[in-house]
Amino acid sequence: MALSPYIDAFSVYLRTGDASGMNAFCINDEHIKRMSVYRNGFYKGCIDALSANFPMCEKFSGSESFKNIARIYVDHYPPEKGTLVGYGQNFPDFLSDFIATLEAPPETLKLSPRLVDLARLDYAWLMSLMSADSTQTLTAEKISWLVEGGRDFTQAVVKLNPSVALLQVNIGTFNQWIALKTNLSEAESIDNSDVEGLHKNNSGLERADGALSVDTVMFWRVQGAVQARLLSTPEVSLMQVLQGEGAALERAFDAALALEHDFDVSDVFSACLQNEILEIDMAKYNHDN
Amino acid sequence: MKVNEYPSPQQSLIAGAHLGAGLGLKAEHLDDILAMPVEETGAGNRLWFEVHTENYFVAGGPRLNYLRSIRENYDLSFHGVGGSLGYDHQSMPEHIKQVKALINEFQPTLISEHAVWSRSGGAYFADLMPLPRTQDALQSLVEGIDRYQTGIGRRILIENPSNYLDFTSEMDEPQFLVEAARRSGCGLLIDINNLYISSKNTGIDAEKYLAQIPADLVGEIHIAGHDPDPELGQTLLIDSHAADIDVPVWALLKHALSLFGHRPVLVERDANIPPFSELMNERAMAQGYLDRCRSHTDLMNAFQMEAR
Repeated sequence: MALSPYIDAFSVYLRTGDASGMNAFCINDEHIKRMSVYRNGFYKGCIDALSANFPMCEKFSGSESFKNIARIYVDHYPPEKGTLVGYGQNFPDFLSDFIATLEAPPETLKLSPRLVDLARLDYAWLMSLMSADSTQTLTAEKISWLVEGGRDFTQAVVKLNPSVALLQVNIGTFNQWIALKTNLSEAESIDNSDVEGLHKNNSGLERADGALSVDTVMFWRVQGAVQARLLSTPEVSLMQVLQGEGAALERAFDAALALEHDFDVSDVFSACLQNEILEIDMAKYNHDN
Repeated sequence: MKVNEYPSPQQSLIAGAHLGAGLGLKAEHLDDILAMPVEETGAGNRLWFEVHTENYFVAGGPRLNYLRSIRENYDLSFHGVGGSLGYDHQSMPEHIKQVKALINEFQPTLISEHAVWSRSGGAYFADLMPLPRTQDALQSLVEGIDRYQTGIGRRILIENPSNYLDFTSEMDEPQFLVEAARRSGCGLLIDINNLYISSKNTGIDAEKYLAQIPADLVGEIHIAGHDPDPELGQTLLIDSHAADIDVPVWALLKHALSLFGHRPVLVERDANIPPFSELMNERAMAQGYLDRCRSHTDLMNAFQMEAR
């Protein structure tokens, strides 16, 4: 007996619930309903992974509602790799499309446009948690070394470390996400800056300009814990310059100062060093010596 | 086939000979494990930990760091659940590359996978799907094992599945697994709970099954808890790993050890996770069976020496 027709029929059953194709392969017709063990296992594994990867999303929508939505997502986007780590990459976009196309959501689904941003925040947090470890962290010692070598450290090319992610979300969603994460009300979460893993104003920076239509959230990982905070408008410009391949620090500082001439660059830079956010390839400077 | 490039199954057994009973590593137990004094133990009763390899497919971060801290004091077993050895080998290279990278860093004592399929048509079904026991499926499984072993540069053990119903087959499961092992050069991981469940669900004779497995192929044993199906009750047992190990499974473990001799035994628990101390109690029970098995083996060896 060839293997492929069996696998094809089994796959159809797993994807659709139609077990008729498996009749030819089951010895006992009465046992065919037992096939549900495999289909249930498939969905449970995927839905459990989505629950783990989008915890605030689940908390916001409620467990049953989330599971119903997650099940539909699994139908549209089954996992492709042989692991569920990081499963749900398309979940935020799926939610966005799903909400947009539903005229009247069924009662079993608690849907809100906020769910999309909460999903994006959950996933950004997860990606930061699992990102590569930094091996070239810019430290105060390295700055001192550059200065002692007669260099203008503001000309050093630095970039954001792999765990740093910048994410734009609708105003207010980030506070709601933190409130969900910390079991606080939104008002409490705005005032609370001492929650482990969630540093909101650790360098005295203010939240983004209220006139903007979006908030920019920065995630990063330090000492194994993911941190998150809102960025002010000059901070966003500074960080954006350092994304990707990076740039000279001076360029990043200038970008921030162009938006706010009295912006305290040194304060932000100290916070970046303290939080191990920046990377520098010292080999380049060692060579120059 | 490149199986001759790797140590024989017998050598794989030697690699794990110092191991006693192990536990599946759970994130909620990390603090307990790290706080536990590391005991100097004799050969055959060393505590070890098994992880699902794919859970560590991450670029960096605390998950890998925790595993590094465990590895400092304990042997590890990498137990793959997403390799789909039985089908869809085209997707394997990237998967194997990640397994290989983890093996290079952590140097696990044991490496295992399942004699099942889980990928088809670009989808990963995130569960262990059974293969029909046919020549075509056997050939596909052997090719998958060979690719996996070639990719990681180590021999592996493959685990018998839990069966909930019977599919068309051309041979029984011991024949299927033993032949896969013979052709690919892999060893076998005998999951006693899977076997017990299969015996209850499909009516096979578990002891007869074990008698068909050559001891020199067996490199590891798993035991776990199961639950009755919520609808069908005791007529369909589910491999839940969510309950204490049942009495008949302990009895079948004892019988398996009498046939295979001392082998690393893993206590699996993946849901409804109890406190670490409770799992250590189950681990101590498993170790007790291993100790008695070792005493018996030593006695028999001494008797044979004297007879000579």
